[in-house]
Amino acid sequence: MANLFKTNRAILITFTVVLLLIILISQGLEPKIWVSILLSGITLAALYFLLASGLSLIFGLMDVLNFAHGAIFVLGAFVGLSVFANPRLFFNTVPFFLTITAGAVLGEYFGFYLWRYVHTMRARRIIQVVLLLLAFGIIAFSLRRFPISALNAFSVTAVGGAVATAEAQEALSVMIQRVAFVILGGLLFGVLAAPKEAREVGKRRPLWQILVFAVLLLVISFALLVYRDPGELFFLALSPNIRFLLALLFGALVGAIVGIAIEIVLIRPFYGRPVTQLVLTLGLLIVMIDLIELIWGDEGHPPMQPPTLFAESCRSDSIVAWLSENCSSINVLGRAFPTYRLFIIAVGILVLVGVGLLLQRTRIGMIIRAGVQDSEMVEALGINVRQVFTFVFALGSALAALGGVIVAPFLGVYPAMGGVFQLQAFVAVVIGGMGSFAGAAVGTLILGLARAFGDYFVAAGIDIPLLDLTFKGSPAIAKASSVLIMAIVLLVRPQGIFGKKE
Amino acid sequence: MTNVLEVKEIQTFIGQFHILEDISVEVPDGSITVLLGRNGAGKTTTLKSILGLTPPSIGKVFLNGEEIQGLASYKIASKGIGYVPEHRAIFVDLSVEENLRIAERKKGDFAKREEFIFSIFPDLKKFIKLPGGNLSGGQQQMLAIARALVPENELLLIDEPSEGLAPVIIEQVMEAVRQLSAHTTVLLVEQNFIMASQLADRYTIIEAGRSVKHGEVRDLVDDQETINRYLGAT
Repeated sequence: MANLFKTNRAILITFTVVLLLIILISQGLEPKIWVSILLSGITLAALYFLLASGLSLIFGLMDVLNFAHGAIFVLGAFVGLSVFANPRLFFNTVPFFLTITAGAVLGEYFGFYLWRYVHTMRARRIIQVVLLLLAFGIIAFSLRRFPISALNAFSVTAVGGAVATAEAQEALSVMIQRVAFVILGGLLFGVLAAPKEAREVGKRRPLWQILVFAVLLLVISFALLVYRDPGELFFLALSPNIRFLLALLFGALVGAIVGIAIEIVLIRPFYGRPVTQLVLTLGLLIVMIDLIELIWGDEGHPPMQPPTLFAESCRSDSIVAWLSENCSSINVLGRAFPTYRLFIIAVGILVLVGVGLLLQRTRIGMIIRAGVQDSEMVEALGINVRQVFTFVFALGSALAALGGVIVAPFLGVYPAMGGVFQLQAFVAVVIGGMGSFAGAAVGTLILGLARAFGDYFVAAGIDIPLLDLTFKGSPAIAKASSVLIMAIVLLVRPQGIFGKKE
Repeated sequence: MTNVLEVKEIQTFIGQFHILEDISVEVPDGSITVLLGRNGAGKTTTLKSILGLTPPSIGKVFLNGEEIQGLASYKIASKGIGYVPEHRAIFVDLSVEENLRIAERKKGDFAKREEFIFSIFPDLKKFIKLPGGNLSGGQQQMLAIARALVPENELLLIDEPSEGLAPVIIEQVMEAVRQLSAHTTVLLVEQNFIMASQLADRYTIIEAGRSVKHGEVRDLVDDQETINRYLGAT
């Protein structure tokens, strides 16, 4: 028993403090107000958590402080918005990615036949740089004057309900030329990634599988192009609920793919050099936000209409009633609370439980937990830990992107939206203990609650006991609360609530 | 006698430091070979270079005649090398059972070897559900060795198993190493010459990044000059 207390001391103390604070704060508050502030806080916490969980796992396992995480969140938001409201963008851009992949798969298979004639490291370096420049050159050339902003302008008309037949998209022949050209770039990327030594070639997939896969990707991308007009109409005719579900899935998928690409291309060559990686991700954050502005424009989009599941203008009395009524708000002790925020909370809990089970119950989870402590030892056991790194990067990025999609109907979408969330996620991870999944959950919960209660009390004023005074702060204090909490936690427990002593 | 492992004239750099200048080691099948040498001579780096954790930039490493240097560490380990690092490096947050299961290379490895492992380390069975971090230093050392036994490795690299342990515990660990050496070949790093001489068949002395002397341990025990010169007074 004493042992139990000792090992869980941090958790017990945290919960006692939080409980005391909540009780203290709730004094003199009506329960219905109290509960709705609590729910708002948990909503924020759930959003922070989607970012913080990935950040924490990535840092714990790979010692990478990933500043680009916020950019993936923003990317998720924009991708989600586009999938939801602008299928035209989808049909006109996805083929590029599919054909690049097809090219890369082929290049990866045949690249060895080039590398086998290049023996010195120096020659390989030079060829790698040349190929990389060539690949980017080809892709830039094939995408020159691509009407991306016109494609984006379409989303405004699409949301309005009327499908404008504006000349937003290029003629089919031009698109097919571009797509066909882009394959070359993908091919070169594949060659870059191909094994260089005969010994590394090992067991390869048979050629026919590679070919079938590549041809399949090409067929799909050409089909997307050829059927883009009927496809677009079909898409817009789907129910908003289904489109939103697709936005969630596709946003998370894009997040995962971008995460994998970042890990393999930029992070992997620099393991063991944390400062390089830190500067790299910081630069990546700036570049990615700029790219997002380039593609989607730098203006913000107001909170998009939540899917119809949460959109009827009425107030349900209970969750059960909501299931049939689809009201936009629900009765919580006599006060209206938006149902969409309950959905955010549900997603947060789902992710918490899902990733928690993954970590505790599966072999890959076991490897992640072991790798957080000592990834070199995990590798020395014969486990391909780099693959696990990539998986965790993909998972974290997918969760961040999912957060971006979910936040769109709540707070809107704009290129700078990642800043606040990333900062809060970082602070939460520091409070909870770097590398601890449970720490990320507790840290975000503390921050979310602090922000919600802080906002309320700064506006309403706090009666200071025994003195006949009411404290009224500026809203800045509620914003600063997270940093204040971090300072206090770090003073008491420098490694964070769940952190391990270094 | 064939050699399970042959290290041929490897050189290893860590950053700009030339840690291993010329190391050759032969480990005959079924033997316990010990690397001797002073602190900082490069014994641990030799083990890490074999495993590719600090890959050698020059020289060759053969496992059963197959060249393995330059491969990724996990591939080298998967060819049948178990590693027991210094400071043990067991996973403190994982239970004892998970610490063993994580070493499986195929599903069912652990089930197959469970009996054998617990026959050598009966204590571990009692703590199977405890987190590894709750074990004592000696128990952690046993767990680290047991972990290396889960897959059927042909070679174990064991780094300073006696480090930081009480003499009684050292005896137990050494006894365990002796038992398992009936089943597998061992390359051992050990500061404690008396311990090493009781266990090992062959030795290689490493001095300032070079392997300077090889031979049978039983010849070395009487060779006071070599002992004084390379290993200090023990």
